[in-house]
Amino acid sequence: MWWGGRGQSFNIAPQKEEPEMGPSAPKSVQGSGMPEPGSRQLGSCLASGCLPGEQVLAWAPGVRKGLDPELPGTLICTNLRVTFQPRGWQRSQETPLSMSSLSRVQLHRPGSLLKFIPEEILIHGRDFRLLRVGFETGGLEPQAFQVTMAIVQARAQSSQTQQYAGITLSEAGRSAGSRTPPIPLLETSEDWETERKKQAASGWRVSLVNERFDVATSLSRYFWVPIRTLDSEVRRAFGHFHQGRGPRLSWHHPGGSDLLRCGGFYTASDPNKEDIRTVESMLQAGHSDVVLVDTMDELPSLADVQLAHLRLRALCLPDSPVAEDKWLSALEGTRWLDYVRSCLRKASDISVLVTSRVRSVVLQERGDRDFNGLLSSLVQLLSAPEARTLLGFQSLVQREWVAAGHPFLTRLGETGVSEKAPVFLLFLDCVWQLLQQFPAEFEFSEFFLLALHDSVRVPDTLTFLRDTPRERGKQNGQFNSCTQVYTPGYSQLPTGNSVDPQLSVWDWDLRYSNKQILQFRNPGYDPKYCPDSWLPRQQPSFMVPRPPSSVWLFSRGALTPLNQLCPWRDSPSLLAVPSRWLPRPAISSESLADQEWGLPSHWGACPLPSGLLLPGYLGPQIRLWRRCYLRGRPEAQMGLSAPTITGLQDELAHLQELLRKWTPRISPEDHSKKRDPNSQSR
Amino acid sequence: MLGKAVVGAGGGTKVLKPSFVSYVRPEEIHTNEKEVTEKEVTLHLLPGEELLCEASTVLKYVQEDSCQRGICGRLVCTDFKIAFLGSDESALENDETQFKNKVIGENDITLHCVDQIYGVFDEKKKTLFGQLKKYPEKLIIHCKDLRVFHFCLRYTKEEEVKRIVSGIIHHTLAPKRLKRLFLFSYAAAVQSSAATSPKSHTVMFDTLEDWCRELERTRGSVKYKAVSVNEGYRVCERLPAYFVVPTPLPEENVSRFQGHGVPIWCWSCHNGCALLKMSALPKEQDDSVLQTQKSFLEGIYRIIHRPPYEIVKTEDLSSNFVSLQDIQTAYSKFKQLFLIDNSTEFWDTDIKWFSLLESSSWLDIIRRCLKKAIEIVECLEAQNMNVLLVEENASDLCCLVSSLVQVMMDPHCRTSAGFQSLIQKEWVMGGHCFLDRCNHLRQSDKEEVPVFLLFLDCVWQLVHQHPPAFEFTETYLTVLSDSLYIPIFSTFFFNSPHQKETNMGKEGPDAQGKPLSLLTVWDWSVQFEPKAQMLLRNPLYVEKPKLDKGQRKGTRFKHQRQLSLPLTQSKSSPKRGFLREETDHLFKNLLGKRISKLINSSDELQDTFREFYDSWHSKPTDYHGLLLPHIEGPEIRVWAQRYLRWIPEAQILGGGTVATMSKLLEMMEEVQSLQEKINEGHHRQEAPQAEAPSLLRNSARLSSLFPFALLQRPSSKPVLPTSGWKALGDEEDLAKREDEFVDLGDV
Repeated sequence: MWWGGRGQSFNIAPQKEEPEMGPSAPKSVQGSGMPEPGSRQLGSCLASGCLPGEQVLAWAPGVRKGLDPELPGTLICTNLRVTFQPRGWQRSQETPLSMSSLSRVQLHRPGSLLKFIPEEILIHGRDFRLLRVGFETGGLEPQAFQVTMAIVQARAQSSQTQQYAGITLSEAGRSAGSRTPPIPLLETSEDWETERKKQAASGWRVSLVNERFDVATSLSRYFWVPIRTLDSEVRRAFGHFHQGRGPRLSWHHPGGSDLLRCGGFYTASDPNKEDIRTVESMLQAGHSDVVLVDTMDELPSLADVQLAHLRLRALCLPDSPVAEDKWLSALEGTRWLDYVRSCLRKASDISVLVTSRVRSVVLQERGDRDFNGLLSSLVQLLSAPEARTLLGFQSLVQREWVAAGHPFLTRLGETGVSEKAPVFLLFLDCVWQLLQQFPAEFEFSEFFLLALHDSVRVPDTLTFLRDTPRERGKQNGQFNSCTQVYTPGYSQLPTGNSVDPQLSVWDWDLRYSNKQILQFRNPGYDPKYCPDSWLPRQQPSFMVPRPPSSVWLFSRGALTPLNQLCPWRDSPSLLAVPSRWLPRPAISSESLADQEWGLPSHWGACPLPSGLLLPGYLGPQIRLWRRCYLRGRPEAQMGLSAPTITGLQDELAHLQELLRKWTPRISPEDHSKKRDPNSQSR
Repeated sequence: MLGKAVVGAGGGTKVLKPSFVSYVRPEEIHTNEKEVTEKEVTLHLLPGEELLCEASTVLKYVQEDSCQRGICGRLVCTDFKIAFLGSDESALENDETQFKNKVIGENDITLHCVDQIYGVFDEKKKTLFGQLKKYPEKLIIHCKDLRVFHFCLRYTKEEEVKRIVSGIIHHTLAPKRLKRLFLFSYAAAVQSSAATSPKSHTVMFDTLEDWCRELERTRGSVKYKAVSVNEGYRVCERLPAYFVVPTPLPEENVSRFQGHGVPIWCWSCHNGCALLKMSALPKEQDDSVLQTQKSFLEGIYRIIHRPPYEIVKTEDLSSNFVSLQDIQTAYSKFKQLFLIDNSTEFWDTDIKWFSLLESSSWLDIIRRCLKKAIEIVECLEAQNMNVLLVEENASDLCCLVSSLVQVMMDPHCRTSAGFQSLIQKEWVMGGHCFLDRCNHLRQSDKEEVPVFLLFLDCVWQLVHQHPPAFEFTETYLTVLSDSLYIPIFSTFFFNSPHQKETNMGKEGPDAQGKPLSLLTVWDWSVQFEPKAQMLLRNPLYVEKPKLDKGQRKGTRFKHQRQLSLPLTQSKSSPKRGFLREETDHLFKNLLGKRISKLINSSDELQDTFREFYDSWHSKPTDYHGLLLPHIEGPEIRVWAQRYLRWIPEAQILGGGTVATMSKLLEMMEEVQSLQEKINEGHHRQEAPQAEAPSLLRNSARLSSLFPFALLQRPSSKPVLPTSGWKALGDEEDLAKREDEFVDLGDV
């Protein structure tokens, strides 16, 4: 069963940690007056599953409810998390809830008047999980009360000041030895260069101008700029953008188009002519056709997203007061699915823009840290089959979210700042919709998305616990030598432990068993992708700098011609002048695909470029991610997965095994052919 | 491009409102006319089908986003269908339309399939019925299978318009006599050509042996017997000629109230409990009659409450359950969500999709039906009680609930043959009034209640939630629901077996005097080629495992479900007091005096239901055992294939379940061939390749609406985009763009 999706959570170098655990665990246990034999047992229980610096505050034996059969074990509260350890299990296999992700704690008390006898505790996670534990002997044991109090207090504290003790984690990473990250973490210029080559973005280069984070603090140290733009020009041009986040390449379409992202124009600045020309040429990226996409147009605001997510969570609670026959309108009322739709719709439009002709498409959002990432990732998922592979998707998230400085910590509400908005979770939901709609096009499975969804609050890696690459590096001790002279080959210098690549969320084996990781693959993945079947025509004048012949603003689902790219020459910023926007036609039944190709999007046998997916975004097509949001509901936990394809694959493997045994002399090519679908799944 | 005119691309302002204005100039039409007649499709008439009226130069609109395309052709009305004969060569040349119905073409509407007809007068849409004073310029036909047709009559000769419109209205909407059904003329015409219906595996339940065999199969023959008391319909015209009653029941009891008040056996559970149904006794005011009714029921009760019979729980379906009225209103609201005249309408409703869906309460009715069925399953399975369903005629909700229970409990009913036999047993022989409920004769709109469709939708929920448990697919259900309106099959065109037999027995004018032989819908080869029939069968269905190595999974899970059930003897041990009370309920219900608090609404029973439901769902599913659906709010879904299939906007290219399906089929093929190899052992002969469904095996990305989307694929589209680019001007740019389009076309 896959309940929370997380098992085997913190088995980081278990042998080494045991001595560290020794002093801390008994001390705290004694402090709370725990009986000695219990603590011994607990100590050994926790020994392999505890983080350094983690302290066990209280524990109590109990029974995990909501499952069948009920699971006896121990409820443990540490300073970092609450976890339930089934009896007799060596490692914590089940769902630790990190302190900050607790949204609500409920107690069920028996009829007695004694308030300190909790019978059952219900812990709601912010990620829609629910831990329901009934205490042994009806809560009469003192431990039950202690652990309850510990949880309640720890929760109260964590909501006041949440300073993640991430420092200790990097030590754990070091002790794990130098392991190569499963995907390039894009912390070195080599990574960027490799990625650039992979995309065949020949008109682009890796710029080192931000190595000291002095151009833009929220940006990564490296990014891609047009090959003809000098670093000094980049530095000046970026100054005219909000928070210094100037136009950078996001993705190079194999057909020649470029997808760029940048922050809003910094209206207060007064650039000279040369700077304007640089900015323009950077936006233009050598294409004669430029489309500026106003990212925020038709998308929800951050506050909207947050509100919708809160409402959705309330709706999906197991004791939600909504009657079953009112469920659908309540779901509609959360507007969450509406927002998913608008994201998909916009991403679909942009991917049509990118694919239909060779041009440069610039996503512009004021902050450039939220919806730009969401849209550019979705566009790549829709139009680049590589992004739909397991590795491709992870490096996509690493590039467009982690390295691009999406403020995970702020948005997911760890710092208590009001700018909470689960934009990343919205993105995951969008991806899940795509997965639903195109079950054969993605190499990763729903379980992978679920694992990613649950990982955003786990305090074992810094991937999702920092706002910018800079802070992530600082914490990690990686950039502690900031004053040193930088060389491009920085990471190759043998400077002690800073060489160790930091552990990232992508090291799945830290938290998941091999069996679970195997489930990350979609058994139905069936790529029918042939890369050369359709490409937009390459323009001969590519990369010759000249004024753009056509400049468009894409908003309200339509393209509007613009006179100029930059706002400074004679009019104020275009993002500041909403009057320029045409209202979207009341009926926009004509999708952009039609405008661009003169084809209906529902064209029969697919003259769409292969590899391009056009998602459905109609009411009936957008579904609720039940396996994620309804996990807290006991009735929804079970029986949802019907792994028919997996079953078939098992059968296939079994048959092949049999065949191999029975007929050892099988011709090699026949053999390889038969094995083909199976090897795909591995 | 022959015979086609581009509509809607012209007037810039009107593009946004593509409703009812045609932008085709008459000249355009006339220039094309000659070629049209040359290429025109010939009308295929079925045996016995007669052409009634026709009109030429009719434009059929094809919706393509905001612009409509017109196809010029002939509109024809026969005594079987309304057909449009256009030169849509795209559909004809296209060899991909393998999923073609042999009886009903893409542009055919059987007369019984017509739901509503609207006329457009000066851009105003009005419902058409009866005699018309003025004839519309456009005809909109809403079909019961949710297709919508638009026919433009502007360029048709006036007298032709009159003839065709009044003809269509008369033949579809006017009340009809049963004998005038096309069914009979078809049967009479086919008669000569030796219609030997190949015996299928479906049990028709029209002989005593069929019932006996069913009793044997369910091991109910100990306590129940098949009776032939109604042979020749001597006792009652509603009941079938043969049926099953408790063994000790005296046969004269059956005739006492014309079959009312008699418990009739539906099905026996593996533990010996049985599902029974009973039509309620007529309500009487007269005290003496009431007294006789009461003593009669007491007699019945004495029979079925004695051992070996289990305790009987009475389930009165005419109270505390959805009413026929509810179903009717809900469905008429629900279907409006899908009967869409143009995409503007679609986009308007799209925003409020969920609340509109909810306000129709169709899904809620489905949920309530499933819940009721689960409650009954719980009684039978966990509490070892017999359940007696009571309804006025025992022919509407009784059929629905009892067949749902059987689908859930009896794995045999999840095979194709079993499911068809079930429909035959519970619905056709059970006397469900298909003729009235589908309003085939247009005699009373009030009687039109889609009970059978509701049943199919409930089964679809099960199929959707547990696909491997069923031998048939959702496409099968969709096609079955369409077959309700094809009047060449007798299955769904009679109110009772009696009506069927009396009407086909002596065909008066026919000199032969031989009874007509009517087709049943279960002969799928009438409608589909063998290749297309592949799509009706679930490739993943595994037959009941017979300790086969290849199906290890199945054997491991087998019986787990039944053992894990709370099989503890029912909580209330059969005390006399309980029984007394129960009897009182029985009487009160049967005599029509409803008590507000029925036993099944009590809290205790709610709890056991919940427990049963939860415990089932927390176990791994055995697809050959008991099968329960999820009935929570988020789990009841819209049967997208049936309801959304004609809406092009709802299509996802290369996506949807079809994508998984094709992958599955590929793997199935592989498994099959490997299995064959293994079976052959060492001496390998040239084995014939496993005949796997190859419909899905083409390289092109399939639409999510497959297999239905291909039927209405548009074939061409104006090359110039209509908006957005208008303003740009730049000539060179335009030229370039055209190049690109050419490129695209070549790919």
